Amino acid sequence: MPDTTQVFRIVIHGSVEEVWREITKTDEPIACFFNSRMDVSALRPGSKLAMRTPNNAYTGVVGEILEVRPYRRFSHTFRFTHLNEPACTVIYDLEPVEGGVEFTLTIEDLPIGTKSARQMVQGGTMIVNTLKAVIETGQPSLGTRALFALFRVMQPFTPKKSRTEHWPVD
Amino acid sequence: MDASQLDRVLAAMAHPSRRRMLDLVSSMPGMSVTAVASHFEVSRIAVMKHLGLLEGAGLITSRKKGRVRHLFFNPIPIQLVYDRWTTQYAGFWAGRMADLKTRVEGRAESEELKSA
Repeated sequence: MPDTTQVFRIVIHGSVEEVWREITKTDEPIACFFNSRMDVSALRPGSKLAMRTPNNAYTGVVGEILEVRPYRRFSHTFRFTHLNEPACTVIYDLEPVEGGVEFTLTIEDLPIGTKSARQMVQGGTMIVNTLKAVIETGQPSLGTRALFALFRVMQPFTPKKSRTEHWPVD
Repeated sequence: MDASQLDRVLAAMAHPSRRRMLDLVSSMPGMSVTAVASHFEVSRIAVMKHLGLLEGAGLITSRKKGRVRHLFFNPIPIQLVYDRWTTQYAGFWAGRMADLKTRVEGRAESEELKSA
């Protein structure tokens, strides 16, 4: 039985504080999470979490926070709202190394062969690359910014099921 | 990606056995060192040396669970090598040149059809 874990690791030239803020902030969209606005009832284990569009109209991903160890590890369950598929677990590990931060994204319990699995595997590379670009250059790459513009255009075609009113965190 | 990282990635990939190890580990995430070694004729020590080079290049990450070391493929260094030579501009022009090739060849074909 193959393990259903995927690992994405990169070294980012920046501080653990900057990287931590970038992946946990709730006051503005997070570029590396596909420009989602993260909504949590509180940043602590057991709290619900939602990834919403920048205008809050739609919610693409929901989950529950599992672990919050500031500057070291943030982990939560992860499920796409438009798919009836089991949740997986995402773990963000930060490790200070010479000249920066070793950032590791681990996705566990990926349901093999599902749409979620395919999207998560493609998304992993995008997450770590965009995080690196944002910390090191202040903004995502041109291609990624074009993708965000496309998301804005496509928003009216999001399934009704993903409307934020169906996915409160409180 | 700095020069020494680039050297490590390209050197690690410049060996057929190590590329095969990457294929194995990426198709079976969490594979153990023993399972990888079972696919090769060489000694376990030699396999571990190859895996060490792959891990040093960041192409493989490992986690110990109990007494077993589980291996995972990390696609990011290869993506960084790609990015290193495919800047936004290069990507743009490569795309345009490919378009031009398709259009010119397409036109040549349609003219041949007309004259036929």
